[in-house]
Amino acid sequence: MEACRKEILGGVIMSDDEKFRRIEMENRQGFWKASLNPWLIRAKNNPERVAFVLHRVTGFIIIAFLLAHILETDSPVWSQYVPINGLSGWSAWTYIMGIESAWWARLGEWIVAGAVLFHALNGFRLLLTEFFGLGIGKPVEPKPPYEAPTLNAPQRTWLYIEFVVALVLWAFSAFLIFG
Amino acid sequence: MEMENKASNIQVWQYITAILLIFLLGYHLLQRIPWLFNVSTFDQTLTSAFVYNQYKEAGWALLLLAWVALFHGLNGVRGMLFELHQGKTYNNIINVLFWLVFIVFAAIAALTIVKLPAY
Repeated sequence: MEACRKEILGGVIMSDDEKFRRIEMENRQGFWKASLNPWLIRAKNNPERVAFVLHRVTGFIIIAFLLAHILETDSPVWSQYVPINGLSGWSAWTYIMGIESAWWARLGEWIVAGAVLFHALNGFRLLLTEFFGLGIGKPVEPKPPYEAPTLNAPQRTWLYIEFVVALVLWAFSAFLIFG
Repeated sequence: MEMENKASNIQVWQYITAILLIFLLGYHLLQRIPWLFNVSTFDQTLTSAFVYNQYKEAGWALLLLAWVALFHGLNGVRGMLFELHQGKTYNNIINVLFWLVFIVFAAIAALTIVKLPAY
């Protein structure tokens, strides 16, 4: 009987199922906001959420670079069949490296370096916490105010260390790339 | 649901490839540190002679890195696409695209090692 109950909502007659679906849809953040947009997340006391979104954003940057990087490193081979500017083999490689020495290409490399450093360090933390179950504390009986014990476990300290180390290494990579 | 479509399997492969990447990517990043190779700038680690020697010394490690990184990256995208939507046709399209892109780029990476011209 309960499941068949109809209700008028906003001038529309709908069942409980429809109503719940509508409420769920209205409260769903969406893939872009929930997963990929670092500017719209509620970051207060939630650095894990920031790390989650940054992990995805940096992942996209890295996979785009990786596909281009594989084509770039194969240039001594494919340029023998499709010469670049009349150059083939290692001459083509040198030509591409010449293009990549421009300031805008170096800036791109630096962004990729930052993405790789953050993604690698955060990935290492995720391996320890999610795969090996380290640094997440012990399960406790849920009592008000229902704060997840993992949020006060060593993993959070690791996360702050990771942010700092990533920034320091990113600064070092700037010295390397632009220096 | 087929085994290869299970989210848990996709995630486990992410962890396995991530462990391999720690070593392989760590090695690859060290190849760009100039002071380890008695040169003074980052650009000098990218000259054709320098890169050719690194291919000759440990091309197999670079190829393994390319394969593992490709799998890790594309598998990550596949997992996110499965979060967006589920359905038999959709899942099949995503899986086919995943393997197609993986095989094409893995083959290009292999060609780099196999058919690398002499410097």
